[in-house]
Amino acid sequence: MTGPEAETATEKPGDHPIAFVARPMATAARQFAKSLLRPSTIVYPYERLEDPRFRAEVAVAAGKPIGVGPVWDNYRGVHALNIATCISCNLCAFSCPDLCIEMVTVPGGDPKHPKKCPQIDYGKCSYCGFCSDACPEGCLTMTTRYELATPKRAEMIYSPQKLLEVFEQKLPMNPIRLERPENEDAVLLDPPLCIGCNACARDCPTQCITMLDVPRPDAKAGAKLPKRIWKEPVVNDSDCVRCGTCISVCPKECLFWGARP
Amino acid sequence: MSSATLYSVSFALVHDVLFALGRAVGGPVGAALRNSGLITGLALLVFAGILLIASLLNTIVLIWYERKLLGRFMDRRGAMHVGYAGLLQNFADGLKLFRKNTVRPREADGLGFYFGPTAYVVTSIVIFGVLPISSGWNAGALPLTLLLALTIFSFAPLFIFVSAWSSNNKYSLMGGLRSAAQMIAYEVPLLLAVVAVVVVAGSFDLTTIVYEQQNYWFWGPLVVALIVFVAAMLAEMERIPFDLPEAEAELVEGWNTEYGGMLFAFFMLADYLRALVGSILVVLLFLGGWTLPTWVPSAATSFPLAGILWFMVKTYIVFGLFVWVRASLPRVRTDQLLRVGWNRMIPLALLSVFLAAALVTVRCVPVFGCVPSLGG
Repeated sequence: MTGPEAETATEKPGDHPIAFVARPMATAARQFAKSLLRPSTIVYPYERLEDPRFRAEVAVAAGKPIGVGPVWDNYRGVHALNIATCISCNLCAFSCPDLCIEMVTVPGGDPKHPKKCPQIDYGKCSYCGFCSDACPEGCLTMTTRYELATPKRAEMIYSPQKLLEVFEQKLPMNPIRLERPENEDAVLLDPPLCIGCNACARDCPTQCITMLDVPRPDAKAGAKLPKRIWKEPVVNDSDCVRCGTCISVCPKECLFWGARP
Repeated sequence: MSSATLYSVSFALVHDVLFALGRAVGGPVGAALRNSGLITGLALLVFAGILLIASLLNTIVLIWYERKLLGRFMDRRGAMHVGYAGLLQNFADGLKLFRKNTVRPREADGLGFYFGPTAYVVTSIVIFGVLPISSGWNAGALPLTLLLALTIFSFAPLFIFVSAWSSNNKYSLMGGLRSAAQMIAYEVPLLLAVVAVVVVAGSFDLTTIVYEQQNYWFWGPLVVALIVFVAAMLAEMERIPFDLPEAEAELVEGWNTEYGGMLFAFFMLADYLRALVGSILVVLLFLGGWTLPTWVPSAATSFPLAGILWFMVKTYIVFGLFVWVRASLPRVRTDQLLRVGWNRMIPLALLSVFLAAALVTVRCVPVFGCVPSLGG
């Protein structure tokens, strides 16, 4: 309701002026009596939300408790990174709206393909969870740990090793994962544009792209064949994690997301 | 009723110390030390010092009490880290304000800028000198203590207006104008409500008024006067819902916008001193002061300083009522405030005076009994 209707709706007929004083005072007294022994405040450094005592108090209106894990099941705290399963696909850094993820080299990759894992600057992180949603291997997840206070800014930057330590603490993790929409689920090729440069196959984190020979067309008399390597990428769909690295490295923009054929 | 009062204790203390000193020194100096005038003067100083410290301590504890109570009204805890349950938080705040720089705006008037808050807090403290806290508080008869207390109490708008005007800030000036209008409007029903009490008790002496309540407390038959008095006192103390002069949503901080550091602390202190005086006046005029009803076993009133204890309990309960009002009600508009003040409060106060006159005419009321001076 807006305008004059709202004005009249607040003044009910038969409201005695005393009620305007008595009703809020009764409300305040009820609240006082309710919180006299124990206000809702959880006295944080001394008490914690993960304390089972507060499990019953943190409840939604339907009476169903939402605090079933240590804090919440879907709480978005510090990230946990499983370096072993990380495929260096860069999707976390790509999806980060705060640009707080940087891919840094970690030991373990071969010299030609250095292994890169996310390093997160919690000074910038907004805990949106896009990175863990985007992670195709489920190796970057968010835990329920929320205490990050530190005296130095440099300590806010968590290296992959530090994120691995968080992972090894086996904290409850946020399991939400987003699927790619079905109409852009596969990497498709626009053949006339491809120059067979091998960039996609070289950078694919799961090595699921193979360059296959394509027949060289017969040149008509006087016509020039395009200058290219006569190979085309073929994506092994069962190994592909839909990270999109191939699409982003393609120099001719001939790879694109599309519906599975 | 214990015979030891605060003045007699301080007198005995000074007397004993000076006599011991005089006997140790001997000679004419020792005789001079045992002079009764000197003893009385020093005893008065000690009495005044104890009173000053006690009133300031009580004021600071009152702020703590309000913060804790407001916290419970809002489902939170209030101050709780400094000292036991946050009891020392306000001392820490006061220390912080004490250490702060006092900044005077360049265009502000120096004399008024410093005189206003100082006079405000001094006049607020002075009232405690005339308020009896327990029996035998005032050694001699002070026949007009109530009038004196209310007179000093009503100095406030003058000093508020001086400090607001000399701040040279439009918000301060608006706050000062509002404060003056509000305090003058509510001064009338406040005094009329007091007249009802005075008519029944037959005295302006607060001690006498308390003794006249030995058969029944005045809040019962004079409930209209109590309501008017409490409402007018809320406006005089500039507490929510009548805190228009410092309505922070519209006027930044009202008349103390330009004040910081210790001068702000003066305003804060004076506000709560006045709140304490308001609560004490309610207790003295309507709730029987330091006395308890006769059906209470005498063990509750016979131990030393029992009068002061019960007085403080009552005062804090009354102040709790003010906090309850603050937690419940929204701020009123200026026109609503003045309309209620002139159109509702004054007729109600006149009605209460009429009721008091009726009470004096019938002398004894069936349920409550009689006031001593009317034949009780």
